[in-house]
Amino acid sequence: MSDNFSYLLMAWSDPQLLMLTALGTFAGIYIGAIPGLSVTMAVSILVSFTFAWDVNDALALIVGIFIGGVYGGSRSAILLNIPGGPSSVATSFDGYPLAQQGEAGRAIGLSTVMSVVGGLVGTIVLASAAPMIGDLALKFAPRDYFLVAAIGLLLVGSLAEGSLAKGIFAAALGAIIGLVGMDPVTAEGRFTLGQVELMGGIHYVVLMIGLFGVAEVFYQLHNLDAPVKRQVVDKIIPSFAMVLKFLPLSIRTSIIGVVVGVLPGVGGDIAALMAYDHAKRTVKNPSKPFGKGAYEGLVAPETANSAAVGGAYVPMLTLGMPGDAVTAVIIGALVIHGLNPGPMLMVENPHIFYFTVGNLLLANIFLLIFGLMGIKLFAKFVEMPKAVLIPLILVLCVVGTYSINSSMTEVYWMLGFGVLGYLLKIFGFQMGPIILGAILGPLMDTSYRQAMSSAGDHPGELLQGLVTSPLSLILTSAVVLILLGNTPLLKKLKSKFSPASARG
Amino acid sequence: MNKTDKMLVGERTFCALLLVFSLAIFYLAYQISGFSSANSPGAFPIGVALVMILSAVKIAFELIGKARPDCSGWIDAARQFRLQHFPRRTLIFGLLAVLYLAAIQWASFYISTFFFLVLAIVYLRGGRVLNAAGVAVLLLTVIYLMFTLAFSVYLP
Amino acid sequence: MLKSLLTGAALGLSALTMALPAHAEYPERSIQAVIPWGAGGATDNVMRSLTPYVEKELGGKFILNNRPGGTAVIGSTFVKTQRPDGYTVLLGAENPQLYKVLKLADFDYADFYPVSIIGQNVVVIAANADAPFNNMAELMAAAKANPDTLRMGSTGAGGLPSTVSAMINAVDELKVREVTFGGDGPGITALMGNHIDFMPLSLAAARELVRSGKLKALAVFATEETPELPGVEPITKSLPAIAEYLPWGPFWGAFVRKDTPDDVKQKLVDAYAKAVANPEFQGFLKNFGAQSLNLNGAEAEEFLKRWQSVTTWSMYKAKAIEISPDSVGIAKP
Repeated sequence: MSDNFSYLLMAWSDPQLLMLTALGTFAGIYIGAIPGLSVTMAVSILVSFTFAWDVNDALALIVGIFIGGVYGGSRSAILLNIPGGPSSVATSFDGYPLAQQGEAGRAIGLSTVMSVVGGLVGTIVLASAAPMIGDLALKFAPRDYFLVAAIGLLLVGSLAEGSLAKGIFAAALGAIIGLVGMDPVTAEGRFTLGQVELMGGIHYVVLMIGLFGVAEVFYQLHNLDAPVKRQVVDKIIPSFAMVLKFLPLSIRTSIIGVVVGVLPGVGGDIAALMAYDHAKRTVKNPSKPFGKGAYEGLVAPETANSAAVGGAYVPMLTLGMPGDAVTAVIIGALVIHGLNPGPMLMVENPHIFYFTVGNLLLANIFLLIFGLMGIKLFAKFVEMPKAVLIPLILVLCVVGTYSINSSMTEVYWMLGFGVLGYLLKIFGFQMGPIILGAILGPLMDTSYRQAMSSAGDHPGELLQGLVTSPLSLILTSAVVLILLGNTPLLKKLKSKFSPASARG
Repeated sequence: MNKTDKMLVGERTFCALLLVFSLAIFYLAYQISGFSSANSPGAFPIGVALVMILSAVKIAFELIGKARPDCSGWIDAARQFRLQHFPRRTLIFGLLAVLYLAAIQWASFYISTFFFLVLAIVYLRGGRVLNAAGVAVLLLTVIYLMFTLAFSVYLP
Repeated sequence: MLKSLLTGAALGLSALTMALPAHAEYPERSIQAVIPWGAGGATDNVMRSLTPYVEKELGGKFILNNRPGGTAVIGSTFVKTQRPDGYTVLLGAENPQLYKVLKLADFDYADFYPVSIIGQNVVVIAANADAPFNNMAELMAAAKANPDTLRMGSTGAGGLPSTVSAMINAVDELKVREVTFGGDGPGITALMGNHIDFMPLSLAAARELVRSGKLKALAVFATEETPELPGVEPITKSLPAIAEYLPWGPFWGAFVRKDTPDDVKQKLVDAYAKAVANPEFQGFLKNFGAQSLNLNGAEAEEFLKRWQSVTTWSMYKAKAIEISPDSVGIAKP
């Protein structure tokens, strides 16, 4: 027992590990902040780079990059409306309006603190309940993944401002874009128009950079002459009272983040979007309206995507199954260092588990420190004259997109999506649902096919499964409730019952 | 729905385009595997295409009851649309962007980015060429350090 | 004005020098190694372990790049369309050999030059720990008693599970529901959760889970027991007829374009041969559950041909594919 405890503190006491974790977190923040540079890519490069290192040193650096990177995406989401990574898409919804109102510093400060809160919750859950939760994750059958994806897509209801039909259209459009490519089962092309290049699909980061970054560039051209909004740089660090005020919400959204992160194959991006939706549904009096700079709209996704990191480690450490793309690479790192990730890892090499927990805690502390440093500088960055900022952002988008797959074709697509996004914006469509569709559409399709195949293509058997398995039943009820909640039916019921309760 | 809402210029055309696009998507989805089975590669795409068509129809419906935009006929609508959303500045910047992207493969990333930045900044700001060149060099240096050295992303 | 002209000229010149073809000692600059599979997968792990040894032998630097998609079509096509100067290497698995019969693409490894066939993996038929069958015979019996009821995990057309099940179906009957996952990982998760009943897996993927009792190994796809999994019967015990297809397994190799200069090819071949033979890497392979092959030249081409022939013809026999292999130029084994 004391042995395990010493492993927990290993990262804290060894100066080299301490330094590596700090370095990793610091680098991760800035890597994550650049759109197109993904955490997955950085970690893959590191795995090869640290090949000859001691495994603990390698892991310390990687953990830092992971934690820092997931948080870092929020910087460019807030400042430039370009999510640094998929898990920061929801951060831009309220983060960018805050920056436009001159509160970029506050937004970054709040998102930093909230990311740390989420990260700590994720780590605590990992430390205390890993094996149990790991087994729970196994219970998710393909139909349950389908239901989770459906719940995610129903978010469209709360993301679409104004016309619900436009939101649904946008989500459907995103789903089609996500479906472009090779069919996972039969390997035939879908929506590829005979082009071999499209068989690989359209990477959703390209879509994201185009819709958020390039479209915004064209949009900002209209505001060239607008006076530069002075950024407020005092009171960046949220007061303790503020943290307490948002604590109930942040705990709830952290739990959402952990649960979604635990599910193999589903990660921080979906967690953040679902948390945002939860916040929108449950917070009745936000500081400002959602979508116009509500602090709650920043708290929810940032806690969720950081908590998802801890969650993703659960299946990785307990079962050897990756919880998301980054943990898949980390598993590779363990294999290369001669360790065997799997259920026996906890038994034969328990020190890896405790070391990771201690490391995650440490990385979160560094996140707090480094995240709060230099905010003023970042906030001032946005005060640059627009004439310089706009071309700069376009170049950044180009580089970011190119760095995904070294493909100029994808850069051209990015430009195309930018123009498309610009047009859609003019006519009142939101970008959020499109990304939602692109991420969740393929997941829904794959799970649907798997569920049908498992049921031998008998729809009756599939429907039966939806209600007989307790887990599926819960998820199905959630879907039904959300669907009803979006329709006038529930509102009518509510208005019927409230006068009665007022009387009684 | 507020009946005194006004339609945006070009909105009707756009809605029509959405509908046509949805039908095209439905056709492509159908081509994947027809109506063969509920568990085919085309099943989900057809479902999504149907959702698209339905929502496009609803969007078109939402136009009913809105006041017409103040424009007279196609040409005037097109002109107003262009003026509102693609003014001279946007068009020129767009052109620069397209040329830039085309130039990257042809003239190497660093050169084309340099020229794009200088031209775009000077155009948008009107003057101060040296300052713009300085910014461009600074950015390119940062990009080189970060992307090429640190991440081995070899720009063309 | 002058300043910007000079800067532009300087940058332009440096860009030009990077583009000049390499005439001097190979390797002059970094080599791009494309892995047509996702990070963290078996192929990725093997290649990332091997590359540092190759770098040492060759004296050059490799940049590893994952380009997954389309059962390796995307990554393989990319390498095929790069310049044949030895600076782009394909680090792939066995899938391209099936492209022509599966109509995934119109090329296969015959269009590349095999620098090295690194190793191959043993296939294990794995089942959920609580499954009612304990060996291959019982699985086959259960499948025959209730055809199209048992659920088999698969990774799509051209993936390992579908190829193995085709081979089994070529000699006997195994009618099951195929549930497709995006890779070994999700399939194993589903198997552990009892959402599917069995799945053919590479030993590397399944070993730890069998060892810890989370999964049950019904048989190894070989003629004899494998030392890594003592007590697990060879598949030939329940299916003697399948011996004609064995030994068989998914393999990994390094390839370059066919028209790469011979001296470059030779350097790569030597470097890989020494790297694979390195005792440390051999130890990694063993730990990973894989068998080292270290083939190159004519032996490698022979291996590739045989693998392709055996696999495609058995798939044709099992009616897993419609087009006959000899219609795309693959001779019978």
